[in-house]
Amino acid sequence: MSKTLRKVLSYVPTYVVWILATLFTVVPVWWMIVVSARSRVELFNAPTLTINSFFIENYINVITDRTFQGYMVNSLIISTGNALLVTVLALLATYALSRFKLSGSDNIFFWTITNRMAPPAAFLLPLFLMFTQVSNVRLGSLNFTLYDTHLGLIMLYCVFNLPFAIWLMKGIMDGIPIEMDEAAFVDGATTFGVIRRIILPLAAPGLAVTAILSWIFAWNEYLFAATLTSFRARTITTGLAEFVTVTGTNWGEMAAVATLTLIPSLIFIAFAQRYIVMGLTFGAVKD
Amino acid sequence: MRTTKHWSKLAVLVMAFMLLVGASLTSAQDDTTAWWAEAGAQFAGVTLRGVSESTPASNYVKDVLAPQFTELTGINVELETTSWDQMYDKAIRDMEAGTGLYDFVYIEQDIIYGYLANEYLVDMTQALADNPELAAPEFSFDNFTTFVDYFKNDEGHVFGMPMEAFVKIYLYRTDLFEDADIMAAFEAEYGYPLAPATTHQQYTDIATFFTAYGEANDLDLWGTTVQAASGHPSSFYEFFESVAPTFGVYNWGINQETWKASVANGGEMNSDAAKEALAWWLNNLQFAPPESTSSTWDEVAASFAAGRAAQGLVYGENAAWIATDATRSNVVGNVGVALPPVEPGVMEAAEADTGYIGYYDGGAFGLPVSSQNQQATLLWLQFVGLPSVQAEWAAASSRIVMEPTYDDPLVVAMDEATNGYYSLMQDQGYLFAGAPPFPFHPQVREAVAPFIYRAIAGEITPAEALDGAAAAAEAELISLGYGS
Amino acid sequence: MRRTRTGWLLLSPTLIIMFIFGLFPFIYVLLVGFNDWNPFSARDGLTYIGVDNYRNLVFDNLFLNALGVTIRFTFFAVLSELIIGFLLANLLARDFFGKTLFRIVHTVPLMIAPIAVGAIWRLMTIPGFGPIPYFLDRWFDVSFNIGTSSDQAFLSILIMDIWHWTPFVTLTMLAGLTALPREPVEAAQVDGANRWQIFRHITLPLMRPVILTTVFIRVMDALRTVDEINMLTNGGGPGTSTRTLGIHIFRVVFPQTDYGYGSAMSLLTLYLTIVACWLLFVSLTQVRRNN
Repeated sequence: MSKTLRKVLSYVPTYVVWILATLFTVVPVWWMIVVSARSRVELFNAPTLTINSFFIENYINVITDRTFQGYMVNSLIISTGNALLVTVLALLATYALSRFKLSGSDNIFFWTITNRMAPPAAFLLPLFLMFTQVSNVRLGSLNFTLYDTHLGLIMLYCVFNLPFAIWLMKGIMDGIPIEMDEAAFVDGATTFGVIRRIILPLAAPGLAVTAILSWIFAWNEYLFAATLTSFRARTITTGLAEFVTVTGTNWGEMAAVATLTLIPSLIFIAFAQRYIVMGLTFGAVKD
Repeated sequence: MRTTKHWSKLAVLVMAFMLLVGASLTSAQDDTTAWWAEAGAQFAGVTLRGVSESTPASNYVKDVLAPQFTELTGINVELETTSWDQMYDKAIRDMEAGTGLYDFVYIEQDIIYGYLANEYLVDMTQALADNPELAAPEFSFDNFTTFVDYFKNDEGHVFGMPMEAFVKIYLYRTDLFEDADIMAAFEAEYGYPLAPATTHQQYTDIATFFTAYGEANDLDLWGTTVQAASGHPSSFYEFFESVAPTFGVYNWGINQETWKASVANGGEMNSDAAKEALAWWLNNLQFAPPESTSSTWDEVAASFAAGRAAQGLVYGENAAWIATDATRSNVVGNVGVALPPVEPGVMEAAEADTGYIGYYDGGAFGLPVSSQNQQATLLWLQFVGLPSVQAEWAAASSRIVMEPTYDDPLVVAMDEATNGYYSLMQDQGYLFAGAPPFPFHPQVREAVAPFIYRAIAGEITPAEALDGAAAAAEAELISLGYGS
Repeated sequence: MRRTRTGWLLLSPTLIIMFIFGLFPFIYVLLVGFNDWNPFSARDGLTYIGVDNYRNLVFDNLFLNALGVTIRFTFFAVLSELIIGFLLANLLARDFFGKTLFRIVHTVPLMIAPIAVGAIWRLMTIPGFGPIPYFLDRWFDVSFNIGTSSDQAFLSILIMDIWHWTPFVTLTMLAGLTALPREPVEAAQVDGANRWQIFRHITLPLMRPVILTTVFIRVMDALRTVDEINMLTNGGGPGTSTRTLGIHIFRVVFPQTDYGYGSAMSLLTLYLTIVACWLLFVSLTQVRRNN
């Protein structure tokens, strides 16, 4: 057996696994797209992996629906607002945790992550009361509550995204040599000056990952959005759940919504795929 | 020549008549418009918010009635339509916390007793009597069918504006039931002619027959639908509200004097009749399409519309689209309606009003006490309850809450298309009943339902399921403070 | 001293938000958990009942069932993901044509909203037109019905989770393997160690921190899975076979409006989760320190 042949053969298991794993990953998503191309009367036809005729009405009905457009815009506003807020707060917080000897900072560090462990359903009731009652501010005719506002969800999502962001950014912050800020301080810079001019450029890739993943987590969240919004701030994931309507579950349109929900995430993957591992392991695993 | 002359005379007459009628209508309409504009003036700019289930009837309110009302009065209406579970969660949380988020909420008939017991709702009869200037001249609670009675308290005061009502009906495929070859084959096998079942044995025979027929002819056809989503409350409802009553087990088998469910304590939830009913219902699963154990109310209708079942119990709100909408249904024109099959004696009991044979479903809009805009909402809810908005609404979403709506040409046409769903509801709707007057409806449902789910999954027998369910119901009732 | 104050100042916005939205609901749930509170009961308002809710939990079959489901789900899902992900990563660790494409494709499930993941797998498994039951029946004559068979439903939620999260494990493992120092392996090869020995005594110990981090994150998330299972099995059916703690708590707190009992239940769940994660966390930091 020639050496080249053996070398080629040694790649066979890799490629077999590659193909099988890729099929397993792709087929369910593809099937969703196939369903989104079927009209209601074709739904119960035998499953095929080919799209014979594309029932574009599923998409058109969804996209031209004013409610749906609103959901899309709300999701964009909330995800973007949350990503920005989380990134800024995490930058400040991890700088503090990394550069200052604060008593109990280790405990704070672990405590932040416990907020991600809570069973979400249990906290819906207090959050609902807080959003509707405690935050109720009446100024003259203006009657403000956090309920059903973009701001409310933007701040609430911090509870889940900040722990992740802090854990991720802490490692990056620790990796920036402290000598660099000290040199700047000697030159008379303020704390904010140091953060802006020294830390920000060096931590930029990490901050980008933080922002992107926070964005996606916020975009994907369902339970809180469903409970704490009503008309004005309702998001796309709640819309997805609502598409299972009473007049014969409308799977085609639901699949179309699910497909549309996927698009922003795919765009981000194209940009940030290299850093996603680091992000999802909260910085513990560098890629 | 002569004929033409006659025709033209007739045409002139008709036109004159139409003009007259038109004129009188316009002036009547002007009066109405003026009244609404005047009544609404003081609330102009106010926004009323409501929550409802995303159903055709509610979507019609949101898309058609709300804009009309805004045009008349200047009062804005925002209706949030969401899933059935979400709707309850949100409405109850809002009213319990007294947040005042919603000015009107959808009340399904079965939850009204809980809302009344918690004093969540405004007494509309009283409110209209207290504010005569807000009472619209064309509005009256007397216009409604007896369905409105479900939303009254002991004194007859109304707490919910009826907006939709249906019966859960026995649908069958006329193309199959009236096919000569099939009829002959069925009679040869069972010794009686094929017709919509009136007894449970007949129903099972038909289900058996068509399942075998589908298999023999390589069709995706089964004998019956079953709303048996194991894990979803819809399966609980089909059993306790549509099947158990036809075996003579009413009100979920809960004794309303002692608040007990088990036979030992005077209830009927685990009686022999109830166990027989559950066994019969579960037995139907083998004659049902495979998706039945995942089917909620939506999917049962979808399965029937896809032509996958020969017969089944289907919520009436779906009858119209299944029978007429070719973009969603494969059985257009082939849908027949009949009363559900019953055990001997049950039909007589229903006629004597000591029992019922199925579920009279529906809902109303209620006005929460916590609403900040109660007066404006009163106007809006009366608008929804006007006789003049009913017919088109009924045609759009097969719901009827007023007697005259049955005679509207739009509804008469639909009645023909569904082979008589509307006339059946009109003439025999009294045989059906809403949910029992329990103020703890979802609580006991949640306690009991897991036993039904497990019976569907075959983990326990029907008898074990109902024994366990009765015990769980009693425990939940005690923890809620009912019985001891 | 002044510097510390700056530190706290920088940290304060984060702490304020976390206190308001994280700690306040926690305290509220803690207090409600000592009360009997169901707005639909014959009594009004809250009644203080001490630890009765917690006492009842221990004998509550539905709760214990949900706890069991959650633990079994977490155990099997994380274990399978770990094994499959690790094997995949090992096979794919070498450079080959198409590696980047593989990584991109495998990142996709990670980014899909959980509720959409549930929807996707519901479409895959739905009896009637889903491809899984259809082809299993056609090719292998196996009847697969997620609405009827508890085992198959449980298997389905496992497969869904494996589909959703194995790429995460694969990618972290791949990153870990790529970052491993080459010298120990080369030295062992010189000493004549075989592939299994190298794997057992060199690769595995070096990979421990990565593995533990991955397990920590996966366990934490798997324990609180709600959206996708709820969507796939329509609320935890058939029977109660896929009713996880998250779903059960939701049903107790919302449809059943048992606020007091539900609060106690969620607090106990949170406590168990924190203990489990803390143990993992401690072992994780221990390993880090040892290295």
